Amino acid sequence: MSPRRRQLLARLAGSFRGNLTATVGAAITLFVIVACSLGAALMPYGPDHADFLALLSPPSLSHPFGTDSFGRDVLTRVLYGARVSLVVSAAGIAIAAALGTSLGMISAYKGGGADVVLMRFADLLFAFPSFVLALFLMVVLGFGTINVSLAIALTYFPIFARLARNMTLLVREEPFVLAARLMAEPTPRILLREILPNIAAPLIVQATIGIAFGIVIEAGLSFIGVGVQPPTPSLGVIMADGREYFQRAPWVLTMTGVAISCALLGLNLFGDGLRDLMDPRLRQRAQQ
Amino acid sequence: MAAPEREPSLGWLRRMYGGRKVAAPRSLAYFAGRLLGAVVTVLAGALVVYVVMKAAPGDPALAVLGENARPDAVAAFRHKHHLDEPFAEQFWTWLSGMLRGDFGLSLTIAGGIPISQLIAARLPITAFIGLYAVLIAVAVSLTMGTIAAVRRGRAADTIATSIAVLGISMPDFWLSYMLVFAFALGWRIFPAYGFVSPTESALGALYSGFLPALAIAAPMAAVFSRMLRTSLLEAASRECVVVARSFGFSARFVFLHYVFRNALIPYVTIIGLQIRYLLGGVVVIERIFGIQGLGSLMVDAAFARDYPTVLACTIVFLTIVLLVNLVVDLLCMALDPRRSA
Repeated sequence: MSPRRRQLLARLAGSFRGNLTATVGAAITLFVIVACSLGAALMPYGPDHADFLALLSPPSLSHPFGTDSFGRDVLTRVLYGARVSLVVSAAGIAIAAALGTSLGMISAYKGGGADVVLMRFADLLFAFPSFVLALFLMVVLGFGTINVSLAIALTYFPIFARLARNMTLLVREEPFVLAARLMAEPTPRILLREILPNIAAPLIVQATIGIAFGIVIEAGLSFIGVGVQPPTPSLGVIMADGREYFQRAPWVLTMTGVAISCALLGLNLFGDGLRDLMDPRLRQRAQQ
Repeated sequence: MAAPEREPSLGWLRRMYGGRKVAAPRSLAYFAGRLLGAVVTVLAGALVVYVVMKAAPGDPALAVLGENARPDAVAAFRHKHHLDEPFAEQFWTWLSGMLRGDFGLSLTIAGGIPISQLIAARLPITAFIGLYAVLIAVAVSLTMGTIAAVRRGRAADTIATSIAVLGISMPDFWLSYMLVFAFALGWRIFPAYGFVSPTESALGALYSGFLPALAIAAPMAAVFSRMLRTSLLEAASRECVVVARSFGFSARFVFLHYVFRNALIPYVTIIGLQIRYLLGGVVVIERIFGIQGLGSLMVDAAFARDYPTVLACTIVFLTIVLLVNLVVDLLCMALDPRRSA
């Protein structure tokens, strides 16, 4: 298994070099992650450091993104906020992936009535407009950071459930799964050791795109005021703040949005590139 | 009846020159099945959101009347809003009312007037903005997607594809502020805030709704044009295209009748799928531009903890998604007769 996996990784790395989309996407995503994990600490200001001599000052060398109405450095706040948004979104998608994948796999492997009910339920949730469902859940759960993650998880898990189910149905009849069943391996072990590694690729792609989705949902919810609550900085909170004085200081909202767009661009390109790499149909066409 | 799957082109040819057939009873049955499925989905969705809402912590009576409300006032409130009945009875009262178009009374918004009145006043506005956005997205994506596919691998393709990726990556509510910045505060071509209802003035609505519709349309236009590009390339590589070319049909005829028509099916389908995201955009952007639609009603209700109104809005949004998808089904049936045969 190990040499095979190493070979697989080497092949993945090899095709990465040929795939511009995935490379650029990975680079931007990596940059965003490094910027918000290290960059925030390197900034000379704290996220709540207020400089009352520089209220709403436009972008300059000392404040590349300008300052807000409290004289706080917008770049610093964006770096801290991006960290919050990223964690909120990643946590939500992680829950969605864990919940959706396990439900989808079990549902496909066991089949029967539970499978039908579960998939109908997933379809039902999928029919709701995602932001409307998230907003509804925020009203039910109450506004706040953790509940944003929960809302993202609940709106996104049907996608994982559906995907994991369809992939499991494909893999279920493969010889190595049958062999494992003949050897009387316990079902959880078959699901985790035999099936999961073989359906992981599309799930990872989905997770990458899902994190972008989560960031947008977080930003949207916090922007209208029902998501992450100030003074915790998240990208949506900073933008909601910037909206208040958009005419006098457009840079707060503008630069925060540029930062979000960069992060989303990276994740989207990365997800697209990964999908091209992992979809054998597309790969075949690329080789032709 | 339908041409064999290997040669859909010939079936299409026969229909073109042999006159159109009326819709077969079978496709009626197919559509009736989809309609029934949509109705069941709305009912199941109503049950799920109702149960979730009831499971929410907090007593709506106390939320409306305040923590220190007198017990008899609370009891009267609970009686007025059927909160003192058993769960099944409450649900049935609510559901049967909803099927008659009666969503009950709002708790806090607009002084407790019937929710159906609120929705009736705001639904046309949201429908207008949504339709406007879809039309813009379709117009833009038909152009961009076709150019990208026809000029595949050239500069125009790269530019169109890059614009599409950018469009997906910009949050629509941020984009709407950038549009306001450029076209309302900078150039002063369009109003920055406010919306003229289409019932007052159609032209005014088109004018004042342009920026919000454009902001909602941008990410969708990006998704649509990517989809159109992919499906045009897919359709162009089919065998029927080679056959049609060998018949001596002009490139233009082959493109319109073989490539484009086949590519439209996934394109129309993705419009149906994207309606979910469109409505999400509507909710935020209506608020930004001060449009008194369903989305801003839902946000106002969310802030006021007006549970029945939030519930009603959620169901109405679900119903819109399902209705649009029924229309998409009809379009797909018209485009691809095999689907219903």
